[in-house]
Amino acid sequence: MAPLSDRSSVTSHDRTPPTVSIVLTGRNDDYGVGFEARFFRTLRFNHRELTSRGIAYELVFIEWAPPQDRPRLVDRVFDAVPDLDPGVCRWYVVDAQYQAALSLNPRLVYLEFVAKNVGVRRAAGRFVLTSNCDVYFGRVVLDALARGSLMDGVVYRAARYDLKAEIGDGNPGWPEIEDPANLDGRPRSLRPPFMAGGTGDFVLLDRGTFHEMRGFNEVYRVARIGIDRNFLVKALSMGLTIEDIGGPVYHVNHAGSYRLTVHDYEGREGEAPWGNRRWHSSGVVYNNAPAWGLSEAPQRQLAKGVWFLDFSWDAVPPLVDLRGVVLPVSRLGGPRPGRYVSRM
Amino acid sequence: MKQTGTFGFVRVARYTEAVEYQKKAESRALRLEQQLETSREQSRGWKAKADQAHEALKQVQKTAAETRQKLERAEARAADLQVLQQRLAESERALTVAREQLMAIEVKLDILEGAANVLDARTRTVLMRRTATERGAPV
Repeated sequence: MAPLSDRSSVTSHDRTPPTVSIVLTGRNDDYGVGFEARFFRTLRFNHRELTSRGIAYELVFIEWAPPQDRPRLVDRVFDAVPDLDPGVCRWYVVDAQYQAALSLNPRLVYLEFVAKNVGVRRAAGRFVLTSNCDVYFGRVVLDALARGSLMDGVVYRAARYDLKAEIGDGNPGWPEIEDPANLDGRPRSLRPPFMAGGTGDFVLLDRGTFHEMRGFNEVYRVARIGIDRNFLVKALSMGLTIEDIGGPVYHVNHAGSYRLTVHDYEGREGEAPWGNRRWHSSGVVYNNAPAWGLSEAPQRQLAKGVWFLDFSWDAVPPLVDLRGVVLPVSRLGGPRPGRYVSRM
Repeated sequence: MKQTGTFGFVRVARYTEAVEYQKKAESRALRLEQQLETSREQSRGWKAKADQAHEALKQVQKTAAETRQKLERAEARAADLQVLQQRLAESERALTVAREQLMAIEVKLDILEGAANVLDARTRTVLMRRTATERGAPV
């Protein structure tokens, strides 16, 4: 397969490109307990709100290395969310061998940002929004998408508000989601220059620039934490603007979430399933290989809107690509790159 | 007529005038003597003052020389300080660069360590499989 240019998507769209591609990744492995139910609930809510505002969107879902012994999400999602139009979905099931071939840390069982890159690379929308399966979009976010007043070259971020776990038991609507009494802890705010914090839950950028950046870091596959912040550092280094979109997204806390389990690994950080939290995610940036997002992976169509990415070593980036680790540019008036932090 | 001296006679008026003149001259001489004495005293005073001024001048000159030396030393120090400040700024820049390079190196080491561990695990798997096959044990 011939290499793709950095700007091109892997897929072709025969219809009008949507305004926004929403890129999510997941698999039916009961991550964080009750993953499937949480995902379907969130998807129902977001789909309803996006549709009611007439937002032309597509859902690009990456079902990353799904376990063999469980039903795949793609086989259940349209029953669980009957309103979801298969025509707005593009579903990519990724062969589990990619996880094993790409891993640089056996404790990371889910290379979340490589998976998101698979979606970003294949997205067709004018804008690409990467988020997580249990994140509810707030009104301001939805209104911004509906207005279509987003600008190219701007990384839009939204603060993440954590809601109490019990909110996720039902089918939460606006009253439950927006009730301050349901907040689990103080609402976060985004602080310049990086506007980081729960970045994996909301990154919105025009597709052209996203592709110019070559997505999230695929070179440092040693940790899961900090990869999203590292994307912001690269964005600033490239001279992009990072803006708060103006309103939050909501995340319902659940067992197994990073925020609730981070303290369980104090003193034994090496065993944590997210890798080294203190890697220099603010101090270095990356240059992904041209074939980022598994763009060389052979695609096999399983059904309308559903593809399987077969394993091929040709699609796997090098195990070690040290030239892909570079220092960020400090721009006039911009923030200095991160300071060295001893890792003792 | 008054006889003056051995031979001469002068008129009284002339004599009186001469006596008067003499008195005045004596008085003037006395005044001049007093003035002279005053002048001498003043002269002595001025001389003392001149000596003091001279001494003060010498002191001032000495102080000026010392101050000049101090100034020269201060100027030298200021120049040294400027050089030190430049060196400090250069050192800070070098430190920043070194820290940045250190960050990049540590990140690269993480990657290399991860790759080494992964390759070690893969090699072990292959070797164990090969060993098991050679021994005829089920894989």
